Amino acid sequence: MSTTEIIVRILLVLIVAPIVGCFFAGVDRKLSAKLQGRIGPRLRQPWYDFRKLMSKENLVVNKYQNLYILFYIIFIIVSLIMLFLEMDLLMIIFVYTIANVALILAAMSTGSPYSRIGASREAISMLAYEPILVFYIVGMYMLTGSFKISQLNGANAPLILYLPLVFISMLFIMSIKFKKSPFDFSSSHHAHQELVKGMFTDFSGPTMGIIEFAHWYEYVFLSGLMFIFWKQNFIMGTILSLFTFFFVIIVDNITARLSWEWMLKVTWTVIVGLSVVNILFLYLNNVKLV
Amino acid sequence: MNSLIFSLLVVPVVFSFLFLLSENKTFYKLLSYLLFAFGAIASITMAIHGPIQLEITGSAFSSMEGIITLLEILILIFLFWVSKKHNRKGVFSLTVIQAILFIYSTFFMDKHHEAIINVDSFSIIMLLLVNIIGTLILVFANGYISEYEHHRHMKSKQRMFYFVITVFLAAMNGLVMSDALGWVYFFWEITTLASFLLISYNGDEEAYNSGFRALFINIIGGICFSLGIILFQNQLDITTLTGIAAHGQLSGIYIVPVFLLCIAGFAKSAQMPFQSWLLGAMVAPTPVSALLHSSTMVKAGVYLIVKLAPAYAGTKLGTAIALYGGITFLLCSAIAVTQRNAKRILAYSTIANLGLIICSAGMGSSLAIAAAIILIVFHAVSKALLFLCTGQIEHTIGSRDVEDMTGLISKAPVLALITVFGLVSMILPPFGVLITKLISIEATAQNPFLVVLIILGSALTTLYYIKWMGTLLAYPTASLSMKSGANFNIYMPLWILSILVLISSIFIAPLYNNLVSPELKVLLPKASEALIINNVNIIAQTGSFNNNIVFIVIALIILIALLIHRTLIGNTRKTDVYMCGENVKDEENMFRAPDGTSEKAVFGNYYLTRIFDENIITKLGTVVSIALMLIVILGGLL
Repeated sequence: MSTTEIIVRILLVLIVAPIVGCFFAGVDRKLSAKLQGRIGPRLRQPWYDFRKLMSKENLVVNKYQNLYILFYIIFIIVSLIMLFLEMDLLMIIFVYTIANVALILAAMSTGSPYSRIGASREAISMLAYEPILVFYIVGMYMLTGSFKISQLNGANAPLILYLPLVFISMLFIMSIKFKKSPFDFSSSHHAHQELVKGMFTDFSGPTMGIIEFAHWYEYVFLSGLMFIFWKQNFIMGTILSLFTFFFVIIVDNITARLSWEWMLKVTWTVIVGLSVVNILFLYLNNVKLV
Repeated sequence: MNSLIFSLLVVPVVFSFLFLLSENKTFYKLLSYLLFAFGAIASITMAIHGPIQLEITGSAFSSMEGIITLLEILILIFLFWVSKKHNRKGVFSLTVIQAILFIYSTFFMDKHHEAIINVDSFSIIMLLLVNIIGTLILVFANGYISEYEHHRHMKSKQRMFYFVITVFLAAMNGLVMSDALGWVYFFWEITTLASFLLISYNGDEEAYNSGFRALFINIIGGICFSLGIILFQNQLDITTLTGIAAHGQLSGIYIVPVFLLCIAGFAKSAQMPFQSWLLGAMVAPTPVSALLHSSTMVKAGVYLIVKLAPAYAGTKLGTAIALYGGITFLLCSAIAVTQRNAKRILAYSTIANLGLIICSAGMGSSLAIAAAIILIVFHAVSKALLFLCTGQIEHTIGSRDVEDMTGLISKAPVLALITVFGLVSMILPPFGVLITKLISIEATAQNPFLVVLIILGSALTTLYYIKWMGTLLAYPTASLSMKSGANFNIYMPLWILSILVLISSIFIAPLYNNLVSPELKVLLPKASEALIINNVNIIAQTGSFNNNIVFIVIALIILIALLIHRTLIGNTRKTDVYMCGENVKDEENMFRAPDGTSEKAVFGNYYLTRIFDENIITKLGTVVSIALMLIVILGGLL
C-alpha cells in the first residue's frame, strides 16, 4: 500500500464512514417503521437528532464520565482505520475491545442502577460475542496462513465458501453487537423498556451525541467484518454487509427480548459449537486458499 | 562477575541473619531498602553483562556439596519434627518417602565432581523478577505487616517473617542459576519449606491447615522431582538441565523422568488438581501472597517446565502438556468469574495464567515458547502490583470483597487508579499480558483444540476483570469506611511496579531481542526465528502488529482530553443520578416510592454462579487433569 493510498483510506474512514453509518441508522428507522405500519421519520432524522443533542447542555452525574466516551470513540475510529489498512485482524479485534471496555466503564462510572445493570449485561454479551469474533479470525488464518487481512487479496475463493457455519455464527452475534432485539438488553432505541436507556441512562446532550456518532463508525466497522467474508469481490462483499444489516433489522422487528442467560447459554453451546465444527472441518481437510 | 553470582546467593542470606538481630522497625526498614537497592543493582548488572557460565570444581565443589547435604538433612529433620508436633500423618509419611529417596541418591548413586553455575538469558529474566519485584514486596511489607499484626492482636513474628522471606529470595536466586538437577532440587525444597512457614504465619488453626496442605502437595511434587532425577541419571546419565537440552527429544520409556519433573512443576505452579494449596495460601498476609504469586514459588514451577521444553517439544507428551495447561486456563478462568473475594479472583487468575504459560510451553514451537517466557515476565509484574493493591485496599476499607469496593475511586482515588491500571494491564493492549495472549493465539492457531480453550478462557478473563474495574470506578452507592492514611512504604512499591508495567510493555522489543530470543536458540537450536520484534513492529510468521499504535493513540487521547478538558469536564453541570422517580436529597441511590416512603436501589455485579459452579468445575478439573496425566504417561509408554 502506497502512502497516498494509506492517506486516502484514512480520510475515507474519517469522513465517509460516519455518513454511511448515519445513512444506515436512517434506513434502520425508516424500515422498522414500514415493518410496523408507520410512516416513520425522514431518512436524515439521525443527523437532525445528532445536531439537536450537540446543542444541549452538558449534564453529568460523575465529573469524569465523558473521558471514557473519548476513549470509546477514538478507539472505534482507530480500529476502523486499522481494518481499512488491512492489518492483523486479531490485533484489530483487541483494539476494538478497548473501545467496548471504555464504554462499559463509562456506564459503570455513572452509577445509576439502570446503567449499571446495562453495563453488566453488556460485559456478559462481550463474553458471548468475543470468542466468535476470534474463531472467525482463526478460521481465516487456517485458510490463508495469516492473520493479516491483506493476505486475502491473493485468495482464490471467498472465505464464506469454507466458513459457512462461522458466517451463521457471525450473523447471530451481529444482533448482539448492534444491540438489537432479541438481544437489546443492555440498551436500546425503543421507548418503554424496563431498563430506561440501559447503559446510556445517565448520558445526555453532546456526550450522547458523540456516542451516537461513534455508533455510526461502529456500524461500518461491523459491516466491514462481514465484508471480509467475500473480500475479493467488492460487490459480493457489499451484498454480504447489506444482507447482514437487513437481517439484523428484520430480526429486530419480529422478535421479543430474551434474557441474557438465554443468550449466554445459546452462544456458548450452539453458536460456539457451530464455529468449532467449521474450524475442525478445515483442520481435518487442510483446505488452503492461498 | 563470579563475585556477582556469589553475592546474589550470599547477600540475601547475610541479610536474613541481620533481620534476626533486632526487633527495631527502623532497622528492618533500612535493611529492606538496602536489599532492594542491592537486588536491583545486582540483577541489572547481570542483565547488562549477559549470560555467564561458571564451573565449580575441587574443594569449592565438595564443600558446597557438603553444605547442601547437611542442609537437606536439617530440612528433613525439621519436616519430621513439625509434622509430628502438629500430628499430620500425611506429611509425615511423605517425608519418610522423601528421606528414603534422599538416602538412596546420596549414598547409592554415582557422585560428580564438578557443577556448573549456568546463568543464561532465562535465568537473568528470573533474577530480575526475583531481585526487583521480590525485594519491592519486602519494602511494601514494612508498611504493611506491623499494622497487620496489630489488627490481629498477634504476637510479633516479624523477625521470622523477614528471615524466611530473604532466605526464600536467596533460594530462588540459587534455583534459577543452578544447572545440576541435584542443586535445583535442593533450592526447590527450600522454597517449599519457606512457603510453608510463610503460609502458616498467623499461627492459628486455619493458617496451619493451609500451610500443611501446601507442604503436603509440594512434597508430592518434591518426591516426583527426586524420582525424576534418579531416573534421569540411571537411564540416560543426565544430571543437568543443559544435559537435558543437549540430549533433545525423548521418547518411549525415557519420557517417564521428564513427566515426573513436569508433575513437580505442576504441583509447584498449583495447576489442577494441585490448585488447592495456592487458594489456601491467601490466609497469609498480603506480601506473602504477592511473593508466592508473582516472582517466586509458582514461577519456579513454570521455569522448570519451560527449561524441559527441549525434551518434549514436538512430541505427543508436549501436546498433552499443552492440552493440560489449556484446560486449567479455561476452567480456572470460569471459576474466577464466580468469585467476589478479590484475593480468590487473583489466585484463580494466577492459576489460569500459569496454565496458559504451560500450554504455550507444551506446544513447543519457538513462537509458543517465546509467548510462555514473555508471559512469565508480564504476569509477574502485573500480579505483584494487583496483590499489593488488594492488600492496601483491604487495609483501607477493611474488606477484600469486590462489592465492597464500589466507588473506591471517590474515596481513595490514587489507590483505585493504580489498581485499575493493574487490571487494565492484564486484559487490554498495549500491555504485555495481552500481547502474549495474542502471540499465543497466533502460535496455537494450528491446533483447533488448544485454540478453543485459549479463546474461551480469554473471554472469561476479560469479564471478571471488567466487573472489578467497573466496580472500582463506579459512582459511590454506599459510603466506605476509611481507615488510616497513605504511607510512603506502601505507595512507593505500588508506583514503582506501575512504572515497571508501563516500561516493560513499551520496551518489549529490547526485552525480547536481548533476553528471550537468545534463550530460544538455547532451548530449540534447530527451530527458525519465529518472532521478530523491532522497535516498531512485532512480526510473527503469521501476522504482525504495531503495538506502538495503541501507545500513540492513548497519548493522543490524553492530549485531546487535556486540550478540551474545559468542554469535557469543566463545562459540565453535575446532576443527580436518574432513578426513574424523585431522588431523595443527600441520600445516594434512594428514591421516593409511590406510597411516600424512601426506597434504596442496591446493585451488585453478576457472578454467573448458576452457570459456572465452583465445586462442579473443581471436580471436573480434578477428574480431567488426572485422566490427562494418566493418558500422557500410558500413551507415552505404549
